[in-house]
Amino acid sequence: MSILDEPIKEVLELKNYINGKWVKSASGQTLDVKNPATQQTIAKVPMSTKDEVNAAITAAKEAFPEWRRTPPLVRARAFFRLKELLEEHFEELSRVQTTEHGKIIDESRGETRRGIEMVEVATGIPSLMMGYNLEDIASGIDEYVIYQPLGVFGHIAPFNFPFMVPLWFSPFALATGNTFVCKPSPRDPISQVKLAELFEEADIPAGVYNLVNGGADAALALLDSPDIKGVTFVGTSAIGRDVVYKKCGETGKRAIVQGAAKNFMVVMQDANVTATIPALLTSFYGCTGQRCLSGANLVIIGDDAFYKKFLDTFAEAVSKIKVGYGLDDSVQMGPMQSVDGKERVLGYIQKGIAEKARLILDGRKPKISGDYPDTCFLGPSIFDNVTPDMTISREEIFGPVAGVMRIKDLDTAIKVINGSRYGNGNAIFTSSGKAAREFQYRVESGNIGINIGITAPMAFFPFGGMKDSFFGVLHGQGKDAVRFFTEGKVVIQRWY
Amino acid sequence: MKLNTASQVISFSRKLEEDGASFYESLARQYTRDSEVLLGFARENRKNIMRVERAYYGAITDALEGTFAFDINPDEYAIKTDAPQNVAYTDGISVANEMERKTAGFYNQAAEQAKSLLVDVLRVFLTMSRLRDDRQQKLADLLNTRNLTK
Repeated sequence: MSILDEPIKEVLELKNYINGKWVKSASGQTLDVKNPATQQTIAKVPMSTKDEVNAAITAAKEAFPEWRRTPPLVRARAFFRLKELLEEHFEELSRVQTTEHGKIIDESRGETRRGIEMVEVATGIPSLMMGYNLEDIASGIDEYVIYQPLGVFGHIAPFNFPFMVPLWFSPFALATGNTFVCKPSPRDPISQVKLAELFEEADIPAGVYNLVNGGADAALALLDSPDIKGVTFVGTSAIGRDVVYKKCGETGKRAIVQGAAKNFMVVMQDANVTATIPALLTSFYGCTGQRCLSGANLVIIGDDAFYKKFLDTFAEAVSKIKVGYGLDDSVQMGPMQSVDGKERVLGYIQKGIAEKARLILDGRKPKISGDYPDTCFLGPSIFDNVTPDMTISREEIFGPVAGVMRIKDLDTAIKVINGSRYGNGNAIFTSSGKAAREFQYRVESGNIGINIGITAPMAFFPFGGMKDSFFGVLHGQGKDAVRFFTEGKVVIQRWY
Repeated sequence: MKLNTASQVISFSRKLEEDGASFYESLARQYTRDSEVLLGFARENRKNIMRVERAYYGAITDALEGTFAFDINPDEYAIKTDAPQNVAYTDGISVANEMERKTAGFYNQAAEQAKSLLVDVLRVFLTMSRLRDDRQQKLADLLNTRNLTK
C-alpha cells in the first residue's frame, strides 16, 4: 500500500476572492474543513457576512459593462489560458478533492477532467452564442436575434462534487459575458479556492469572477440581492424547491435548481451480466453513493434462477470492494464526506431493517484498509426484498446502499419508477433494443442510461432532471447553459 | 496485491516503463557497440510514460468503471531492473526479450480489461503492446547482426 503525497501540508486559512483581491473575512467565524479519511483539519473556512457577499455582487456588477464589451473571442482566449492552467494543476486539484471530500483518486481525477471539459466547451463561445437572422420578413425588412449577457449570476455549490459542479455554470456564464459570484460548500471549499487562484492567474479581469465562502447566510444574500440576475444551485430538493426556486421566483431571477434523486437500475434477464456488474458497482458505490446519479434501487427482472444467480454475483463483487483512504490508489471506495452523512445512512439502514427488508450485506462496521479512524467510513450495504412502499426505496439515502427489488416485468418496473417523486438518472441493462426503447420512451427521467450505470451528460449536452430532481426550464452545460446565461433580443430593421 | 483501479494500472505501467528504461541504460553501458539502439529503447520507454498518462488523464471519468474494471496480478509481469553483469551478449539480449514479452503481456491484459471504458486508454495499451512486439524483432535483429559480423 502506498499513499500518494498529500497536497495540503498545513492548515489553510481560506479567504474570499472579491474584485480581483484575496480578502480575509471580517466575520470572525470559521468552520474547520476536515479530511474525512484522516479526520485531520486541513482548512478553516470563513462564514462570510451578507455585507461581504454584497461587496462581491457590487464588484461583479461594476465589472460587467466592460466584460460584456470584451469580444467573445477575447473572452474565449481567457478560457484557453484557464484550460492550460487547469491541465498544469490537474493532479494537485484532484488530490485536493480527495483530501477535502474523501472520494478516491480515480474519481477525483474524473471530476477534474469533467470540470476541464466545461472550460473547453466554453472556449467555443463565439460559435455557441451566435444568433440567427432572416432577410425580407417583409419587403426590405430584416429580422434577427442576438444573444446578450444579462449581468451578475450567483452559484450555490454542493459538497458532493466540490470542483466540477461550479464549473457546470461559471465558464458558460463568463464566456457569454456575464460576471459571477460563487459560494462553495463550506464542507469542502478548497478546490474552489484553488480554482479561483487559477481564474486570477488566467487574467480574468477583477470583479468578473468572485468567490465568497460561507454558509446559509451567504447563500441567502445571493438569493435576496436585486442585482443578481440568476442563480444556479445543486443540493437537496427541499432547499432547492422551497428556498432557492421560491426566492428566485419572488425576486425575478432565472434559476437552475438541481435536487435529489432516487435512481433505479433495471437489469433484464437478457443483460450482459459480465459487463453489467462493474457498471452497477460504479453506479451504487462510486463516490461512496454520494451523487445525484448514483444507483439506489436495483430492479431485477427475470426467473428465479436468474434472480438468485445475478444477486449472488452482485453481492459477491460488492463484498470485495476495498474501503480506505482515497489517496491510496488501490482503494475502491472512500469514506462518507461527513459524520452527518454517515449518520443519515445508518439511520436509513436501521429503517430498512425495521421495514423488514433483508440486509444481505452490512456495511455498518467496515473493514478499512490502513490505520484510519472509522469516523466517516461505511462499507457497502445491500438490502434484498425491498418493495416500492418502503422508505428506503423512496427516499434518497445518499450513501453506499443498494436496495434490491424483484419486479415481474418491464411494464411494472416502469410504473414503479414513474411513481417515484424523483426523475434524475435511471438506467436499463439489456440486450433488447425494444426493451431499451420502451424504457427510454416511457420513463420520466431527465437522464436515461442504456447499459450505462452513471448517466452523466458530457459538457456539450445539458444535464437533465425531471420532477423533484429539477426546478427550472433550461439546464446546466451545453447549449442550454448558453441560453440560460443570455437573453435573446429580437431586432427588426428597415433602412430608407 | 492485485491491480483493481485504473490509477493502479497506470502507476504500474509507469513503473514498468521506468524499470525498462533503467535496464536498457545499464545494458547499453555493458554493450557499447549497440548502445545507440539500447538507449533509444530507454528514451522511448520514458516517452511511453507520457503517452500512457496523457491518455489516462485525458479520458478518466468517474462515470465509467475505472475503479472496478481491472483484476491484474502484477507479480506475473514483474521484471528484473538490473541488467545481468558479466554475461554473454546473447544472455543479455535474452533477458531484454523476456522483459518485452512480459511487458506486452501486461498491456494486452490491461487492454482486454479496459474494453468497456476509457477508449483512449485501451488504444494506448494496444499501442504499447505492439511496440513490444516490434522491439522483440529488433532485439532478434541485433543478435543476428552480431552473429553475422563475428
